Amino acid sequence: MRNIFAVAGVVIKELYRRKDFYVLFIVTILICLVMASVNIFNDAKIARYLKEICLLLVWVSSLIIAITTPARQIPAERENRTLLPLLAKPLTRLELIVGKFLGCWLACGVALLCFYIFFGALSATREHEWPLLQYFQAVMLHWFMLGIVVALSLLGSLVFAAPSSNSTICFVVVGGILFVGRHLDQIALTLKEPVRTIVYSLYFAIPHLELFDVRDLVIHNWPLIPWTYFCLALLYALAYMTVFLTGACLVFRRKAVN
Amino acid sequence: MLFIFCFGLAAKLQPQFQAMPLSRAKGDILNVVLGDSRRLFANEFYVKADAYYHSGYYPTMFDDNAAFKTAHMAEDTGAVNSKNKGDEAGFLGPKRNWIDAFSRHFYPDHHSHLDEGGPTDELGKSDQVREILPWLKLSADLDPDNVQTYTVTAFWLRERMHKVAEADAVLHEGLRNCPGSYDILFELGRLYDESYHDKDRARNVWEEAARRWNNLSPAEKQENPFIMEQIATHLAKLEEDAGNLPRAAEWFATAQKVSRTPDAIQVQINRLKGKLGEDFNPLMKPLY
Amino acid sequence: MSAILQTEKLRVEFSSRELRGVPKIALHGLDLEVRAGEVFGFLGPNGAGKTTTMNVLLGFVPPTSGAASLFGIDVRQPIARQRIGYLPELTYYYKFLTAEELLRFYAKIFGLARAEADRRIDELLKLVELEHARKRLIKSYSKGMQQRVGLAQALINNPDLLILDEPTSGLDPLGRMKVREIIQRLKNEGKTVFFSSHELGEVETVCDRVAIIHQGQLKAIGRVSEITGSHANLEKAFLEIIGFPTPTSP
Repeated sequence: MRNIFAVAGVVIKELYRRKDFYVLFIVTILICLVMASVNIFNDAKIARYLKEICLLLVWVSSLIIAITTPARQIPAERENRTLLPLLAKPLTRLELIVGKFLGCWLACGVALLCFYIFFGALSATREHEWPLLQYFQAVMLHWFMLGIVVALSLLGSLVFAAPSSNSTICFVVVGGILFVGRHLDQIALTLKEPVRTIVYSLYFAIPHLELFDVRDLVIHNWPLIPWTYFCLALLYALAYMTVFLTGACLVFRRKAVN
Repeated sequence: MLFIFCFGLAAKLQPQFQAMPLSRAKGDILNVVLGDSRRLFANEFYVKADAYYHSGYYPTMFDDNAAFKTAHMAEDTGAVNSKNKGDEAGFLGPKRNWIDAFSRHFYPDHHSHLDEGGPTDELGKSDQVREILPWLKLSADLDPDNVQTYTVTAFWLRERMHKVAEADAVLHEGLRNCPGSYDILFELGRLYDESYHDKDRARNVWEEAARRWNNLSPAEKQENPFIMEQIATHLAKLEEDAGNLPRAAEWFATAQKVSRTPDAIQVQINRLKGKLGEDFNPLMKPLY
Repeated sequence: MSAILQTEKLRVEFSSRELRGVPKIALHGLDLEVRAGEVFGFLGPNGAGKTTTMNVLLGFVPPTSGAASLFGIDVRQPIARQRIGYLPELTYYYKFLTAEELLRFYAKIFGLARAEADRRIDELLKLVELEHARKRLIKSYSKGMQQRVGLAQALINNPDLLILDEPTSGLDPLGRMKVREIIQRLKNEGKTVFFSSHELGEVETVCDRVAIIHQGQLKAIGRVSEITGSHANLEKAFLEIIGFPTPTSP
């Protein structure tokens, strides 16, 4: 565990020393502040459009960080030849992969916390309330979803040659799941065999990331998600993270590092 | 030299280019940037407003949206003929599998309207309908020719937000962009009647709306008889409240001509006939 | 003296990417032994198999057949690397870290306690003359400074065996002298040093024993004086062993 946390620490340092997070955060703040300054029929209490815009930016920014950060971990180590002195230490490949995953996931968590604190402050200026439990559920679900994306991107970084191609594929896959994942079974019914079976199987095989997108519940102040289902969703995410990480470890075990 | 030449040529040709009939140099930045696709975006934002009206519980293109053909936020204004059929509360249908069943806990799962308190049924918070306004405003900016955007915006502004001046401004902006629109004139009349209590202005505006509608071709009248029914019945009630019962009956007769529920209007006519006496027959002289 | 590093009939084959291609044999049954406390030079022309041998010893590449061990532990076990330090030929480290952070990271992997790690870091930064730059990001370092950071990280765990791949490559004469001094110092402390180099003059100066490898096969192993034999210097002996006749050879 010590080695895993050591590797994770380096990944977190890398994130906060790069400009990516700060650029995304500042852009989010600027856009939200511009949107908040718009006068809509002299009503200062209108909040939901602002919450939606802010949450959309938070989701886009977090996905950028969650996909691009792990996508460049192992390829950058190979390209920069930092992988050899690292693996020459008493560090197994499994520890390296898990450490990279944990670092990226924790880094995403820290970034997410910053974004959501801003979101909470912004919505409080209009709604004058802080539904903390609801925000807690939203942040945790979002974070665990990013965990699945991080694991997927890490696996992709070992399978695909270039970080750019891995990132593009991950964005397409994640975007596709978020937009149509929920409806794949309905789409399958409109298709002919054998495509129908393939799509239907895909529906059950893919991680349903859209489960974790509870923006509508937050924006429109719906009641809390029942805690049992909330915990089950987190377990669902952990299961997929484990699957993708196992895949990554198996691929990395066989990969030449020099 | 080349830069100066190009700059000079552009300056010389600029007035001619702007005068060209299909020039996109006219109009605001949205018009220039988006072109005709702005109407697509405008429609999307209009639907977005209705989704907000339902606090996010809204069908996607994969769900059964027969009950959402006409936006409920427009339907509830009482000025739009509804094309909705089917179950508005159950468009999701039965749970298809365990993933679908599980996922329904993570998005809005029951039907509600913001003007009725939203998903928590807090009637004291019916002014939350304000949340649809930004999307309606954006929709109107993108497609200034969509009449319904103005009427729906104005209705909720005055009805729930009590922002009568703002509603008035929206309707006048609508009339600038859509001159002579009977829908907007009708809504303006309602504003004068219900908010300003200025019956004379309301009457003038409604009668103008009725004239505008009457100038349509028969085919156009067939498309939207509902609005004429609304105009006529409002004028009838106005005249009845003013004590001008014969005129009221004549307006009811006009409404009956275009109504899909003529029997209900006949009840009103009979009630007025009862007051006026058996000899009076408004059906002999409907106004339009 | 006991063998610190040992290979036994070590064979490494790389499969060809072409269809029905012949696999490339990088090492043909290499038998090598490095004893505790000696400075051992591993020589060979480019493509001889030196880097492949090091990659096997460090666990980067699995052997096709045969065995390799460090301190009696199979090289495939991560624990075999607990007591070694490795300096690769091309030294690039995390540009976003400072020298101090890099050393602390590696110290953590070796399980050094905080106080011990602090002491080692101070000592090593002084040794490689990077104290003044310890808080600067590595991306601002010159090539020579990066090489010195590399040396420091190779020594962070006070290793009993140091594996160096071309340690003086790219260094100026002053840098090379400092590396030689460090190797000599380590030898005086009883450490074992295993390094590959093309600088035969240096090898002649610091090494106790050398091995010469060519086309994946061990051609000669023994003390420098034994290898040099009747030749004027190690370079001439090396050229003859690998099959390049020199003007003075028959």
